[in-house]
Amino acid sequence: MSDCQDVIRQLWEYLDGELPAGDADEIREHLDDCAHCNPQYEFQLRFLDALVKAYAANEVPRPEFVRRLKAALDGIGGDLT
Amino acid sequence: MAQLADARAAFQAEVLQHLESVYRYAYALTRERAEAEDLTQDTFLQALRHWDQFRPGTNARAWLFTICRNLFLRQRERRAREQPVEAGALDSLANDAQAFAAPSDGGRALFDAPELGDVIRRELDKLPSEYREVVELSDLQDQSYADIAQVLGVPIGTVKSRLFRGRRLLQAALVDYARDAGLLPPPGSEA
Repeated sequence: MSDCQDVIRQLWEYLDGELPAGDADEIREHLDDCAHCNPQYEFQLRFLDALVKAYAANEVPRPEFVRRLKAALDGIGGDLT
Repeated sequence: MAQLADARAAFQAEVLQHLESVYRYAYALTRERAEAEDLTQDTFLQALRHWDQFRPGTNARAWLFTICRNLFLRQRERRAREQPVEAGALDSLANDAQAFAAPSDGGRALFDAPELGDVIRRELDKLPSEYREVVELSDLQDQSYADIAQVLGVPIGTVKSRLFRGRRLLQAALVDYARDAGLLPPPGSEA
């Protein structure tokens, strides 16, 4: 059984999908039952989601740039192995 | 001739699909559209020229990010714009940020604020580059710790340490903003 300190310490690795399955299962079970850790989990989850949303529609390459890039790539001839 | 056509087809199938991701990464590094376009183009031209070095089945996006970052660093060295990071001061700031405790409702008012996207972009821009680039590779480009370690040429432990500190710094800035805007109660006022 995980204690709160362990869960909070590993929370980002858990949210990033970087923990082994057994460890992730233990944390999931703990979060389901723990009134102390659950707000931390909710906060971190919302934070990561907000980061993705803040950048979702931003900075896509301009169509004219994409055309220029593809033309430049087409211009490379015999040295492609 | 047929070999060349095959190699080009393989390159297009594996690599060109990552054009948007590489451009966004280049923009994150340069913070300027024209520079990002030049860096993206240089990245793809170099990838094509060194296509024989790509190992099929490995992460093409991480390979492109590695090329992109190396090109960027070389350009930056040439321009002598490298700013040394004051590690001690940053560690202290990151540790201060760690002290933040999440509000009991999980910060709903903060994350529902319509201006949040602008605030996040502004505060992410202010992060020191060594933290910002790891946050961007992980949270915006969805790269694993191992792939980020490959791109940056650092151990996975360093990736985790920079990522977690970067996130804490960013969260601390968001919480400060939310408190100033009345979206979160002042420190110590929540039971």
